[in-house]
Amino acid sequence: MNPALSQQLRNLAGLGVGLVAFMLYAVYFSPTQGWVFFFQLTVNGIILGSIYALIALGYSMVYGILKLLNFAHGDVYMIGAFIGFGVLTLLGGPLNPEIPVALLVLCMFVVAMLGSGFLGLAIERFAYRPLRDAPRIAPLISALGVAFFLENSALLLFGSQFRNYDGYDLISYNGIHVGGANGVFIQYLGVIVIVGAVLLMLALLALVRWTRLGKAMRAVSFDREGAAMMGIDPDRVIAATFFIGSALAGAAGVMFGLLFSQIYHLMGFLAGLKGFTAAVVGGIGSIPGAMLGGLLVGLIESWAKGYLNGNVSDLVVFGILIGVMLVRPSGLLGTPALQKV
Amino acid sequence: MRKYVVAALAAAGVAALATAAFGSTQSPSRANASASAATASVACGKTRTIGLAAPITGPAAAIGNQQVRWAKYYVKQWNAQKANKNKQIKVISGDTQLGVDTAFAVKVAKSFASNSKVLGVVGPAGSQEVVASTSSYKGGGLAFVSGSATRTTLTDGHTDGNRRGFFFRVVPNDSVQAPTVANYITGKLKAKRVYIIDDQETYSQGLANGVESRLKAKGVSTTRDSISQTASDFSSQIAKIPGNTQIIYIPWQLAPQAQAFGQQLKAAGKGSIKLFGSDGLFAPGTWKIAGSYDSFFPVDTNAGAVKAYVKAHHGDGEYFGAPSYVAAQVVVGAVTKACADGKASRAEVRKDIAKSKLKSSILGLPVSFTAGGDLKGGGFGVYQIQSNGSFKRIG
Repeated sequence: MNPALSQQLRNLAGLGVGLVAFMLYAVYFSPTQGWVFFFQLTVNGIILGSIYALIALGYSMVYGILKLLNFAHGDVYMIGAFIGFGVLTLLGGPLNPEIPVALLVLCMFVVAMLGSGFLGLAIERFAYRPLRDAPRIAPLISALGVAFFLENSALLLFGSQFRNYDGYDLISYNGIHVGGANGVFIQYLGVIVIVGAVLLMLALLALVRWTRLGKAMRAVSFDREGAAMMGIDPDRVIAATFFIGSALAGAAGVMFGLLFSQIYHLMGFLAGLKGFTAAVVGGIGSIPGAMLGGLLVGLIESWAKGYLNGNVSDLVVFGILIGVMLVRPSGLLGTPALQKV
Repeated sequence: MRKYVVAALAAAGVAALATAAFGSTQSPSRANASASAATASVACGKTRTIGLAAPITGPAAAIGNQQVRWAKYYVKQWNAQKANKNKQIKVISGDTQLGVDTAFAVKVAKSFASNSKVLGVVGPAGSQEVVASTSSYKGGGLAFVSGSATRTTLTDGHTDGNRRGFFFRVVPNDSVQAPTVANYITGKLKAKRVYIIDDQETYSQGLANGVESRLKAKGVSTTRDSISQTASDFSSQIAKIPGNTQIIYIPWQLAPQAQAFGQQLKAAGKGSIKLFGSDGLFAPGTWKIAGSYDSFFPVDTNAGAVKAYVKAHHGDGEYFGAPSYVAAQVVVGAVTKACADGKASRAEVRKDIAKSKLKSSILGLPVSFTAGGDLKGGGFGVYQIQSNGSFKRIG
């Protein structure tokens, strides 16, 4: 068997054993709350993790193709949330929508994804492309600069007041009970987020696997110069990667706004860090790894908030990042970089 | 890859350190300006300047702007009086962005301290801002009078630092608010199971501790949790809250966060549990979960100034900001007294503020200060959010 695949399978098996052990531990040490509580936290974690996974995909795609940590990605997600809010407000707001709610939500997603996608294109064109052949630290500093630029631009454009999507008023406070009235409760909004995220991830996987663009992306990721010699335009492929990754972040921003209501100009910082953590845990550069990492970070955060005091959840999440980096520097589904000599 | 991540983290660390260093130091010229402004006497002239520190933008902007409007309302009234034609007051505002980073409050304090024209300050709003900016105000010799910072230990002279003679507040502190809340929960609401969530900030933790200890002493079962001011997803904390909980006490400062929490609580099927907030959440129109309770400083709604304000603002009293009217009254009064001989120093203004005595105020009580800078007397009322989003006093 391929050694890399073998390593990934061992990682997944280890992760599975760890999760089962944690589940038994959590239920055993929390007998008054029991299984329902555990599964409620798990559902909450999957919903949150779906959002992190969408953010992580952008980090991972860009790293995979450019070996660049795009620290501005969290702020693209923030801009996506604001674009969605703008569409919501323009079309009547959550309490008096001027068009059917389903159409309104669709419009929010489409406009936010397009807006974020084009923003990603602009960032790539003006902040990263000119530094393509510069030392690696230069685009990294440029990325930090773009992040601050976006945050402060949002501050100037939208003010620093929190904006409230009132997503539950727009869609519904209701949901699905699994296991009876005292069982696990999943809000319809949560279902929308999970289904939406899964559809977007499947679409991305299909694009990467079965389209010419996807093949070109894989080729550029593997060897940019070689791909160029085979007639692929790396600049176009890199631009498309930025567009897609940023569009996914825009969708994540709208999902976040609908689900958790409040958005503000600094919301991208922590979410970006969590998305980055997810990408690294999953194996940066790996698309399935980003999805797995996102779900894991969401689950860990949810369990930490549920079983421990709320002020330690971030400590646990970032502690796990350090742990994974020490034990598996390439992440759960990443492959060690080959040293070309 | 590992080298790259390490380089990235190092770069982020350097950026963070640089930012922190920028926020925590001041240039020698600015420090010298503060020191000289602290001792200098300035010619008062026809226009005297005071500072106004409030969260004009940021997550607490809803309440911060109320403070700005009320304080400026007082100054406008003062300037309009014929007797004050040659004693005009000019207000310089500073945005502290409460809830984002206390570095903004420090920056505002430094700019006031280094501006020799500023003789006294109204604000800042939050207790953590008071703690963070004290050294800058003290370094500049400036008195600062808050209309909302209620953490008890701000004035005890040691726990959160000593700011005696510099810091004053025109609202009762949390040693008054905490018993009011605890007594209402046990006496009127007869609650036996209370869940308490602080927001990890100075103000919130102090108040949560005060209420929790009093509830426990009265035999109420309490559970404690914590959220961050940057948190938006409360689903896991809400899952922890037992369904038979009667009250969730949230002494927070950010009304939009309380609104999101209330919506997520309802969406989790626990909307029947009542929320009980503190003065930091008194933001009609922003926190609007009907049926929730809130403790707040009583305002004399029959006072002429209050009636006029309400009329000018289309029926909206914006009462959170009302104490800032009184804070402005105290600062302007002291500046005017210090300027009686045509020149004034900040030291004179501080002494005059400490000796302030307003026989009546829109807070419904006389205003004077203890040696620590606390308001003498005063209490808290309990309000309930109505279905139209307004806050109605019920206790």
